[in-house]
Amino acid sequence: MKKNSVVFLALMVIAGCSSKSTVTPDEAPISQPSLRSSSSIPPSSPSGYGFDQWQTGPLGDVFYDYDSATLSIDAQDQLKQNGGWMDGNASKSALIEGHCDQRGTSEYNLALGDRRAASAKEYLVRLGVSSSRLETVSFGEERPFAQGQSEEAWAKNRRAHFVVK
Amino acid sequence: MIQFFRSAVPGLVTLLFCLVFFPLHLVAAEEGEYIAIRKEGSGNIALVLDKLDAKGRKETSYAQSLDAIMNGGLDFTRLFSLISPPLNVKDSSDRKNIVINFPALTSVGAEVYVGGAVTMKSDEIILEMKVYEAAGSKLLMNKIYRGNEATLRTMGHAFCADLVELLTGKKSVFGSKIVFISNKTGFKEIYECEFDGYGPKQLTNSRSISMNPVLSPDGKHLAYIDFTSGRPTLYIKSLIGGRIASVGKSSVSIDPGWRSNSEVGATLSFDGNQEIYLVNIDGTLSRRVTNSKSIDISPTFSPDGSKMAFVSSRNGLPQLFIQDLASGEVKRLTFSGRYNTQPSWSPAGDKIVYTTWEKGGEINIFTIGSDGSGLVQLTRNCGENKSPSWSPDGEMIVFTSNRQGKEKLYVMSSKGGNERVLLQGDGEQTQPSWSLFR
Repeated sequence: MKKNSVVFLALMVIAGCSSKSTVTPDEAPISQPSLRSSSSIPPSSPSGYGFDQWQTGPLGDVFYDYDSATLSIDAQDQLKQNGGWMDGNASKSALIEGHCDQRGTSEYNLALGDRRAASAKEYLVRLGVSSSRLETVSFGEERPFAQGQSEEAWAKNRRAHFVVK
Repeated sequence: MIQFFRSAVPGLVTLLFCLVFFPLHLVAAEEGEYIAIRKEGSGNIALVLDKLDAKGRKETSYAQSLDAIMNGGLDFTRLFSLISPPLNVKDSSDRKNIVINFPALTSVGAEVYVGGAVTMKSDEIILEMKVYEAAGSKLLMNKIYRGNEATLRTMGHAFCADLVELLTGKKSVFGSKIVFISNKTGFKEIYECEFDGYGPKQLTNSRSISMNPVLSPDGKHLAYIDFTSGRPTLYIKSLIGGRIASVGKSSVSIDPGWRSNSEVGATLSFDGNQEIYLVNIDGTLSRRVTNSKSIDISPTFSPDGSKMAFVSSRNGLPQLFIQDLASGEVKRLTFSGRYNTQPSWSPAGDKIVYTTWEKGGEINIFTIGSDGSGLVQLTRNCGENKSPSWSPDGEMIVFTSNRQGKEKLYVMSSKGGNERVLLQGDGEQTQPSWSLFR
C-alpha cells in the first residue's frame, strides 16, 4: 500500500499536478491530461511547436524552462499530439531523450535530463500509451542541439527529444 | 632558523621564544619517528637542493635528469623555497672527504641542505641522498635508491616523498595519480596522468561519452559512467584483472563516489527517481541510501565511510546535504549560493569542497567545514571552475577551468592561491579526480 501511494505521489509530481511540488513555483497551472480522447487530438504534422531542424519525425519534441522538468501548456499540447500518433501506430515504440542546456554542472544536468524524459513519458502513459512502448534516457548537457551561448540556443537544448523505434 | 628538541618542555620554552622573537620563522620539533618542521606564518621550508655528484658520462647524464626531476617535484608541492646552492657550498680540497660549508648555507637563509651522488653498478643506477639541517650541521637522513634508466622519475620522486615526510610528518602527493576526461579524439574518453600532469595516458576507447572517473581508495578499481550501451551506465573496472562490472538495472546512472575499496555510491533511476545506492564492485546493489522525490546525486563519503555528503534538490534548487548512513539522519550543509553541486570530502575528513554557480554566470570553488562552519571561497573572477578534487595529502585541489577559453585542468592550494595549469593538451580536459594514498 505504501509503495502504491509513493508511486502515485511521484506521478503527481512528475505531471506537475501539485503546485507545491513543482521546482519553479511561478509555473503556469497544468491541466489534467484527458485519457483516451484521441479523436479530438489533431493529427501531428512536422511543423509547429515541437518540430525544428532537429526533429523531423512524426513525434514532436517538448521544451522546458530553466532548471525545470515541469510541462508547460505547449508541452502538454504537443504530448497529446504525440499520444494520438502513438495510438494510431500501435506497433511503434519511442525513445524519449532528456536534454539540458550547457549551463550549470554536468552531473546535475544528467539528472535533470532524466526527469525531463520521465515527465514526458508519464504524461503519455496517463494519456493511455503503454509504458512498455516508451523508453527514456538522459543525455544531460552532453549532446546539445543548438550551439552557442544565448538564451535562444539554451532554450532549444532544454528538451525531451522523441525518436520513433 | 630551525631548532631541534629532544624533550617537550625545553621544546615548548624554545618554541615560545621563537614565536615571540621570530614569529615568521620555522620551528622544528622531533615527533615520534619523523622530524616535523612546522610552518609558523606563511614561510615555506628554505631548501638548498644541490646538484648530484657523478663521475662518468652516463652517471652525469642520469644525475642531471634526477636533478631536474627532484627540483620539479619539490617545486610542485609549494612546500619549499628552493634556494640556489652557494658557490662555495662544498669544499673538496680534501679529495677523500668533501666538507659541506654549513655557514655558507645559513648565510643564504637555507634551513635544509640536500645533496647526493649517482653511481652505477653494471646497469643499476644507485642514488644516494643525504639531508642535513643547515644550522646544526646535522645529518637527518641518508638513504639509497636503486633503479634503472626507465625508473629515474620513480627514484627521484621516492626521495622527494621521503623528504616531505621527514620534514612535515605528512605523506605527499608523489606517486599519486589523477584520472580525468578528455575529448581530444572527438569522443569523451578517460585518461590518467601522474600527480603533476606528467605522462597522460588514455584508459578507455569506447568512442562514446565517458564521465566522472574515480579511483577506489586502494587504486585497484576505476568507477565511471559511460554511454556505450546507449544510456549512461555505471561501470566498475578492475585495473589489475581488467574485469568490468556494470549495474544490471536498466536506468540512468550518475556520478559515482567510493565509500570503501568494495563499495561505490552512485545515483540510479530505475525506480523512476534519481536515488543514491551503494553498489558492490561486482555491480550488484548493496543498498539504497536516499529516499526523496527530488534529484539526489554526487555521493562523497567521510574517510571512515560513516557519512555521505551529496547534492539534493529536495528543497528546490540543488544544495549539499550530509546523511548519516547508520541512522539515516540528513542535515543540510550549504545555505549560501543558489546552485551548489560537485561535493568532494577531504582526505582528513574536516572539509568538503564544492562548486557554486553564481548569479553572474561564474562557477566558483568553495570549501566548507563538514560541520557547516568556515565557508571559504577559493576561486573568483575567472569563468567557470568545476569538478574540484582533493590531493591525497589534502594540500592541493585539482579542478577544471575555462579561464583561458577551453576547459583545462588546474591545481591550486586547498587554502586558495597558487592556481596553475596542470596539463596542456589538445581538446578539453574535464572531471579530474585525484587518487588517495595506496
